[in-house]
Parts: sequence; C-alpha cells; structure tokens
Amino acid sequence: MTAYILNLLVLISVYAILSTTLNFIIGYAGIFSLAHAVFFGIGGYTAALVAMNVTPEFFVAVPVAMGAAAVTSLLLALPALRVRGEYFVAASLGLQVLAVTLFSEWKSFTGGIGGVIGIPAVELFGYPVYKPWQFLLMSLICLATIIVITRTLVHTSFGRSLKALRDSESAALASGKNITVIKTLSVVLSSSLAAAAGALYAFYMSFINVESFMLDTSVLVMAMVIIGGTATILGPLLGAALLMLIPSALTYLSFLPQTEIGSIQQMVYGMAMVLLMIFRPGGIVSSHPGGSK
Amino acid sequence: MLFLQLLANGLQVGAIYALTAAGFSLIFGSTKIFHFAHGATFAIAAYLFHFALAGLGLHWTFAVAVAAFSAVLFGVLLDRLMYAPIQRHEGSFFTVFVASFGIGIVVQNLLGSVFGRGFMSVATPLSNSVEVMPGLYLSPLNGLAIVSAIVCFAALHFFLTRTFVGKGLRALSENPELVRMFGLSPRRLSTYAFALGSLLVVPGAIFTAAGTGINPAVGHHVMLISLAATIVGGIGSLRGAACAGLLIGVAENLALWKLGTQWSEAMTFAILFFFIIFKPSGFFGRATVS
Repeated sequence: MTAYILNLLVLISVYAILSTTLNFIIGYAGIFSLAHAVFFGIGGYTAALVAMNVTPEFFVAVPVAMGAAAVTSLLLALPALRVRGEYFVAASLGLQVLAVTLFSEWKSFTGGIGGVIGIPAVELFGYPVYKPWQFLLMSLICLATIIVITRTLVHTSFGRSLKALRDSESAALASGKNITVIKTLSVVLSSSLAAAAGALYAFYMSFINVESFMLDTSVLVMAMVIIGGTATILGPLLGAALLMLIPSALTYLSFLPQTEIGSIQQMVYGMAMVLLMIFRPGGIVSSHPGGSK
Repeated sequence: MLFLQLLANGLQVGAIYALTAAGFSLIFGSTKIFHFAHGATFAIAAYLFHFALAGLGLHWTFAVAVAAFSAVLFGVLLDRLMYAPIQRHEGSFFTVFVASFGIGIVVQNLLGSVFGRGFMSVATPLSNSVEVMPGLYLSPLNGLAIVSAIVCFAALHFFLTRTFVGKGLRALSENPELVRMFGLSPRRLSTYAFALGSLLVVPGAIFTAAGTGINPAVGHHVMLISLAATIVGGIGSLRGAACAGLLIGVAENLALWKLGTQWSEAMTFAILFFFIIFKPSGFFGRATVS
C-alpha cells in the first residue's frame, strides 16, 4: 500500500512539473501548445541514452536532456513567432504528430515501438537513487525548484513582458518589447523544463516507449492546466493531482468494469473541461475572481 | 499500376476529406467557432450508420437518414447547449477550443465503450473491388464517393449563392454586426451553419464506414485532416478547403508509393507545417492572420 501511494506521488510530481511548465507558456505567454509531450519524450529518450551509454549521473543526464529539448523547441518557437490562436494550435498538433512518427520509427534513438528497456538507476554524485521514497524526495525537490523558477520569472520584467504580449501583441511591440526574443525564450524555457520531467520519468520507470509521449499525454497535461486554472501557481498542481487521482479513485468503485477505467477517466476530464469552460473559464483556481478574463 | 491505384484511392479519400473540411470551414468561417468536435460528428454519423445497417438490419436509405439526422442533431445541440452559453460571457478562441476538445474526448471514449475499440467495417455490395486493369482494383465506392462530393459541392454552392439563409451565412462571415443591423439573428444563422456543416460530414462518414472501416479515434484523425485542409486552403474559403482536402488525400496516398503507411499522417502535417510557416493565409485565404 505504501509502495502504491509512493508510486502515485512520484507520478503526480512528474506530471505537476509538466503542467507547471505548460502553464508557463499557456497562462503567461498565451502560446497554446499541444506539443508538450514531445519535449517530455525528448527529455526521456535523451536521459535514457546518456544514462545507458555515458553515465547515470543526475547532473549530467538531466542538463543534456534539457539541452536537447531546448534545441528542438526552436521548431515550436518558429510557428509561434509567425502565427497565433488557431494557426498555432494546428502547428503544434502537426509537430506532435510528426514527433510520434519519428519516435516510433527512429529505432537507434528511441528503440521504436518497443521502447528503451533497462535504464539504470539515476545517481546523485555517485550515489544511486533507487528506493521509491528517495526518488519521491528527488522529484519533489525538482518540482519545487521549477515552481520557484517559474514563479520568480513571472514576477520579473520578463514575466510582465510575457503577460503584455499575451494580452496584446501589438501594444507590447509598440512599447518596445522584443517579441521575437521573449517568445522564443519562453518556449525554450518551458520545453527544456518539461524535458527534466521526461528525464525523471525515464529514470523512475526504467523503461519508456512512445506510448507515454503521444497526443493523449499532451491533451492530459493541457487538461490539468485548464482544469486547475491557467496563470496561477496552484492551479496546475491541483489539476495534476486531481487528474492523476481519478483513475485510482475509480478503481475503488467496484461496479465499474476494470477495462473501462482508462476511458472513464478521459470522459470525466473531457466533461470537466466542457463544464468548466461554460461556467468557470478560469479553472478551479481562477486568477480572476468571477470567472472571466 | 501501383501509382494509378494509389491515385484512385487518394482521390476517394481526398473527396471525403474535402467534404469534411468544407463543413469545418463553413462553420468556422461564418461563426468563428473553432469547432474541434467536428470530428466527433463524423464519428457519430459513421458509427450510427454502421449500427443501423449492420446492427439493426435496416435498409440502407434508413441508415443514411439515421446518420444524417444524428450528425445534424449533434451539431445543432452543441451549438445551442455548449457554444451559445460560452459565447454569452466570453467566447475567446481558447475557451471555445477547450470545450470543443473536451466534447471530442467524451464522444471518442463513449463510442469506444459502447461499440468496442476495434476496427469495424460494414460490407455492402458496393464495397467489392473489381480488377479494372491488371493490378488496378476499383470498387463502385471509389466513384460514388467522388460523384457525391461533386454533387454536394454543387448543392452547397447553389445554397450559399442563391438562397436567403446561404447569403446570410456569407454575410455573417464578413460582418456579424452588419448582419444584426439588417435584422437577422447571428445566433439563428449560427444554428444553420452548424446544421449544414454537420450534414457535410455524412457522405464521408458513410463511405469510410463502408470502405476502409472506422474506429473510435477516426473522428480525431478526420478532425486533424480537416483542420490541416482548412488552414492550407485558407480559413474561410470553402473552395480552398475542398482543394486542400483533395490535395492532402492524394498526397497521403502517394506517400505510400515510397514510404510506409506510418508516414502518411506525418506527410499531411509536414504540408501543414510548411504552409503555416511560409504562407499562413493558405491558397485562397484573406491576407489577414489573427
């Protein structure tokens, strides 16, 4: 039972990192990306590759994974600079679909459909971290660090520029903001931090395959951000916890057929998205009381 | 011969994509609602057609009627019960998109739970392929899909240019304020747009159910394609959506000539990505980009 709860908590903290980083671009920069799982995946695969071929050292594998995601995220920044709104959603969807094809075809990097097996336990300065509670502590520290980073950034002039850009691009441009740099930086930052979550996930599971990095994951993370509340610190955390707890809670309802749990979870959050958008578009933790932006 | 075969398949698939994309483009162009659940409409029509024909054993005309009725009903209900309340208080692109996406997820899983998650296909006498030339297999469905697409586009063109509601819809896409000033209700027109747009998915849904087969994720796939076609063709341009749908269908199938099946969807998105970066307004789009 303890193992079960620890496992759940580790997964919640990994997803909380994802939702916090996605919230950074959705909530503050107004860049609505459906390709977040791509960077989660790049982080995971890169960390696995480094750990298996070079060293499982945390402070080597995670920065390399983040670097790889930062470089590839320029592919997402490019359309973000050109277009907004529905066009960008479509572009990010396109990137996600392309990435899934690449993940399942590029066998030397990702192991294809079969995935990467036997990722060694992560080491912190040479000490292997493999006990679940140690791992939980490590991922909680990562989560806390990332929350502090995003929170600090949001309150600096960079964060204010981001919000200005979200609310009106032309006004931000007119006040002398360098839109290209700000947008690119925010995308690169969010994607590389998402890669850290990917690295953690790969080390924790010691096995990864393309299934974890598909559009479904992008949508799930997006749902966490939206249900929790965009442009808040607490919202994405709450969203991640809630959506990860739904399947576990559903298993206790014994009258539900076990094979349907996955799809019931999706129905629940799909419906939650609809109802929230109708009655409370700001999410559960709304940054604007009254529910409207 | 493989080339001709792929071209024939591409034209059939392209005709289906063109119709679905035109439906999405019509709704999006006139009401500015990003109707992501359009794919869900497609899936519902396809599944109910399958159910009526294979499950209940109805005559095919009834099955088609069931599909058409359910598609229109679903579209109109969404417009009335979901989009109308959202638009009343805010209606930003983001809010509408999320709600629409949510409904898409619910429908996909509901269909999966009710009808099963595997591939389903209903065999009709028209589905059987005949060897026309050595190595070229065609079924009557190939031709029928293309013919019905042409008929639908002709009817749509007539409707939009000759009837009062059609003209109203075109006016709505130009200037909703002016429409209101002339005493028409944008809300009413929006319902018409949804009914018509949803009706346009029906031929595609039927041909897919009778041809290549359907699974619960089909709506998602179709939605991605029509979204791509709408943008490549230029948002708000029905002609553009139709051409782009055809182009994507053909490109997707011709890709099979050199690449494996797994690349066909990637092909579509490579085209889309290219257009978004180099020509976001699409073939026939207006110069403005939001």
